Amino acid sequence: MAIINYANKEVQFKIVYYGPALCGKTTNLAYIHSQIADTNKGELVSLATAADRTLFFDFLPLNAIVIRGFRTKFQLYTVPGQVIYNATRQLVLRSVDAVVFVADSQWDKMEENVESFRNLEENLARQGVSLDTIPYVLQFNKRDMPNVAPSHYLDFLLNDRATRVPSFEAVATTGQGVFDTLNTVSRLLLVKFAREAEAAAAARRPAPNPIAGLAAGLRQPQNSIH
Amino acid sequence: MQPTPIVTLAAAEKLLKTLEEFLNHSEAFFAMIIDRGGTILSQCGRPPESTDITVLAALAAGSFAATRELASRVGEAEFNALYQQGSHFHILMNAVDDDTMLVSIFGTQTTVGLVRFYASRTGQEISRQMHELRTGPLDEAPIFTEEDLNTAGEVFHDTEPKN
Repeated sequence: MAIINYANKEVQFKIVYYGPALCGKTTNLAYIHSQIADTNKGELVSLATAADRTLFFDFLPLNAIVIRGFRTKFQLYTVPGQVIYNATRQLVLRSVDAVVFVADSQWDKMEENVESFRNLEENLARQGVSLDTIPYVLQFNKRDMPNVAPSHYLDFLLNDRATRVPSFEAVATTGQGVFDTLNTVSRLLLVKFAREAEAAAAARRPAPNPIAGLAAGLRQPQNSIH
Repeated sequence: MQPTPIVTLAAAEKLLKTLEEFLNHSEAFFAMIIDRGGTILSQCGRPPESTDITVLAALAAGSFAATRELASRVGEAEFNALYQQGSHFHILMNAVDDDTMLVSIFGTQTTVGLVRFYASRTGQEISRQMHELRTGPLDEAPIFTEEDLNTAGEVFHDTEPKN
């Protein structure tokens, strides 16, 4: 959940990169970390096994744009993709504000993509969140591999909804599509946040008094007759 | 999940004062209030040199969440405190409420018993303040609108041209 801090003039968000094992979630974060200016990034922390497989999560804190004097801050997490680590994925999803689902574009990974996407829906549901209400985007990674499925097929598999979400082709090892994905999901998140804040502000305004409104209307000079 | 916490100026001052009192009594040298997702809500004191407290908060939240799973395996809802003992520095993490934790760092100048005692009392006060913060009236205006975003440009910039 977003946290607004008026004292520090900051708004903080949490984005989770989700997807099957070895789809490139950690590579996305590593590329982002390598490209963001030092002043706007924290340490990239990876809790990994000796074989560099994510054990708990990867974590990258980032500073982003300042809007009306408020610094937006994003905390990027990845989950471990291996099926056995589902309890860990549930922990990492806690308080999530937006999701990037990273799919492996290779034909032989389609089943794992679908299974991981279903797992995401189930784990979000456990904390009362749904993909219908949370901003998310799809990234079709490893487009440089020889045996990849066409993007429209991946869209058919993972994006077959009344309202399709943005999807991006990517090669995370070279950075292709990485920032397009990140910028789009962050913007979706900021727009949702702004809309909710405006709605909350509107709800806090006192309801107009109908009698006072009528009286004010009667006091208006009638300069023209239509 | 509880509503979005909004740390107003007044709330920030109250939380900070509570942490200051906690540090004075417990003789711990650093304390922070974080949400269970790992985001810092308030902090006070000096962490050990070269400690990135953003990362510390994320790791603390992660490790606390992991012990919650451990607790559930032995029939507990959660362990309400977690203590990590080092040679020079120790970390105590306390559950404040369902969404908040208190993380304290202390050294050899005090004892875990003292820190734990005051952390428990402070946790109750923080819990009350967090409840107010989540449910109380908000006077501040929305911080930005969709219109502001339309003119704000990209959220992130990479430093190299795309391939």
